[in-house]
Formats: sequence, C-alpha cells, structure tokens
Amino acid sequence: MSARSRRTDAVVAGLLDWSLESYVHVPSSHVAPVIAGLDDAGVPAVLANREEEAVGIAGGLALAGKRVALVMQDNGFGNALTALTTFAKAYHVGLPIVANTRGGLGEYNAMIHSFSEAVPDLLRAAGIRAEMLGPAQSPVVWRRTATACAELAVMTHRPVVLLMDVMHPATAEDLD
Amino acid sequence: MQRLDALRVIDDVYAADPIVMTCGAPARELASLGRRASHLYLLDSMGLAGAVGLGLALGGVTPVAAVEGDGSQLMGLTTLASIAYHAPPGLALVILDNHEHASAARIPSQATKIDLAALCRGAGLETSDVDGPEALRSVLSEVRGDGRLGAVVVRIDGGNAPDVPLLLEDPAALAVRFTQFLEERA
Repeated sequence: MSARSRRTDAVVAGLLDWSLESYVHVPSSHVAPVIAGLDDAGVPAVLANREEEAVGIAGGLALAGKRVALVMQDNGFGNALTALTTFAKAYHVGLPIVANTRGGLGEYNAMIHSFSEAVPDLLRAAGIRAEMLGPAQSPVVWRRTATACAELAVMTHRPVVLLMDVMHPATAEDLD
Repeated sequence: MQRLDALRVIDDVYAADPIVMTCGAPARELASLGRRASHLYLLDSMGLAGAVGLGLALGGVTPVAAVEGDGSQLMGLTTLASIAYHAPPGLALVILDNHEHASAARIPSQATKIDLAALCRGAGLETSDVDGPEALRSVLSEVRGDGRLGAVVVRIDGGNAPDVPLLLEDPAALAVRFTQFLEERA
C-alpha cells in the first residue's frame, strides 16, 4: 500500500483548487492516499464496484452539473474503456480521472505490468488524453497539473486522465 | 405487453422528467414515440443506464427513471448493488425483461433462468414486478409520486417493434440537449 506523501496530497490539493464537489472511486491500495486526502477534506465520496460503472455514475453527476472526478487504478481502464469511449467521450462529458499506475519501478506484483504498461498506449489509441506525473515532478507541479487536468476535461468536454506513478521509490519516499 | 407499450407508459409518467435509456432497439423505440430533450438515449454503453441514472440522482436530478433491458441489466449487474448502497431517493430503475437480447438476434438472455426481481430485492431494493401497462403505470406513478427509490421489473414480450428508424444523431448533441433541459428545469 502506498502511503500519503507530499505528491498525493498535492493531487488532492489540486482537485480542491478546482473546487471538486464529489468523487467516484474504485478502491485500490495505491490510490488510497488520494481517497484518504479527499475524505479528510470532506469531499463526498461515491463508492463503485467496477470502473465502467464508475464512469457511468461520475458521468451522471457531471451531467447534473457537479464538479466530479473519478479516482481509480490504471488496470481498471480495461474495464472502463467501452464506457469511456462510447459514453464519456462520445457524449462530451468533461470528466477528470485520477489514476495510480502499476507495473513500473517499485512494483511487487509479478503480473500487473502485463496490462498496466499498455495503458498509456491504450488510452492514446482510444483518443483519451492522458498526462503523467512521476518523481521527476515536484509536488507543486503535481498540484498544478491535477487542477489543469480537471480544467482541461471540463473546458474540452471530454475525459482527461492523470496517471500518477506513486510506486516509484523516489515518489514513495517523497524525494525531490 | 410489447416493449413499445411499456415505453409509452414510462414516457407518459416521466413526461416532464429525465429518462436515461439503454441502448439498441429500446432507445430507438422510445425515440419513435416522440423525441424529448429529457431523454438521454445511450446509443451504446450497454449496461450503463442504471449507473448514469444513479449519478444523476446523486447529483440532485430527481425524479429520474433509468431504463434497462434484462440483458443490459445483467451486463451491468454491479450497478444494482451501487444503487441499493447509495439509495438516492427519486430514482426509478425500470428493467424491461423479455428474456432475450432482442437487439442481438433475439438470443435468449440469462433472465430465462435468473429472476431479476429477486436480484433487485436481494440487493435491498424495494421492487415490484408487473406484466401489464396499467400495473406499470400504477407502480411507476407511485414510485415517482412518493419520490422514493424503487426498482420495477416489467415482463414484456420478445422482439422489436417493426419499422422503427435508426437513431443516428451525434451523441454530443443528445447530451447538450439533455443538459440544457436539466438547466432549464432547475
């Protein structure tokens, strides 16, 4: 499990800068620090069971006029891709998605890279914009990027994904 | 009861309210009754109508009806749990059950053996099963009027209505019209 760090707290702060009103999440131990931060900030959470369902719920909230984000792990994009493309993207739903990445440096699972490594290419092929954050970027950049991703999603009426490498040792150890 | 008969009742009871409509022939048949800005036709995204309806209801858009078929509800089965778990008032989940994937060559669905009303009840949803237009109107009017959460499983005949035109509009335009309706209604 990833612990809260300056960078994960920065993502929370960036979403709060955007005036996030609620978030839909599918639990993951490595995105839990973001969920914990949003919970501490008192942002209402909507727990979902699968990622495509989460896209639908978050999309409904967005259509209702709420500032909503989806929080998940990147291997869930396999579940979410049809809903993302045929609903969120096709219906021009401005939806920021914050996802931790798996399968890279610091990974302990022998298998998860087999999907997670392909996620950036899968998103690109599906025409879904993704930004990436890792240890090379400062917490200040993480915060500003989270806000900008949410703004871009709403401004351009589409899902925009923020991929966070929280398992890289330098991120996990909160190194600059 | 044909699907079109059931849709006519749903459209009438929720005439001034949003309806999230599952994909395929059901969406086309609802549109054939008369296009409304309050209809959000999902042209694909099978199994997502309940989830979108849940999001709308959690966002304060009520009353709202989310309409699934038996096949699409079985595809989005986890949504039953999410609806029951979050339990927003004012959401009606309507499942049109013809025991087949009517939009997919009428291949029988698992609803031939699986009791969808029992699944809804098992999730904790107050559930009615109905098999005629008057019973549907009565139950749906009650759920809407009470402003409560409810599931309604509607037994309908198999097949699709003949000569219903395709729904070829840009989904983005459908969404814009729907959100404008919500804004004007607020």
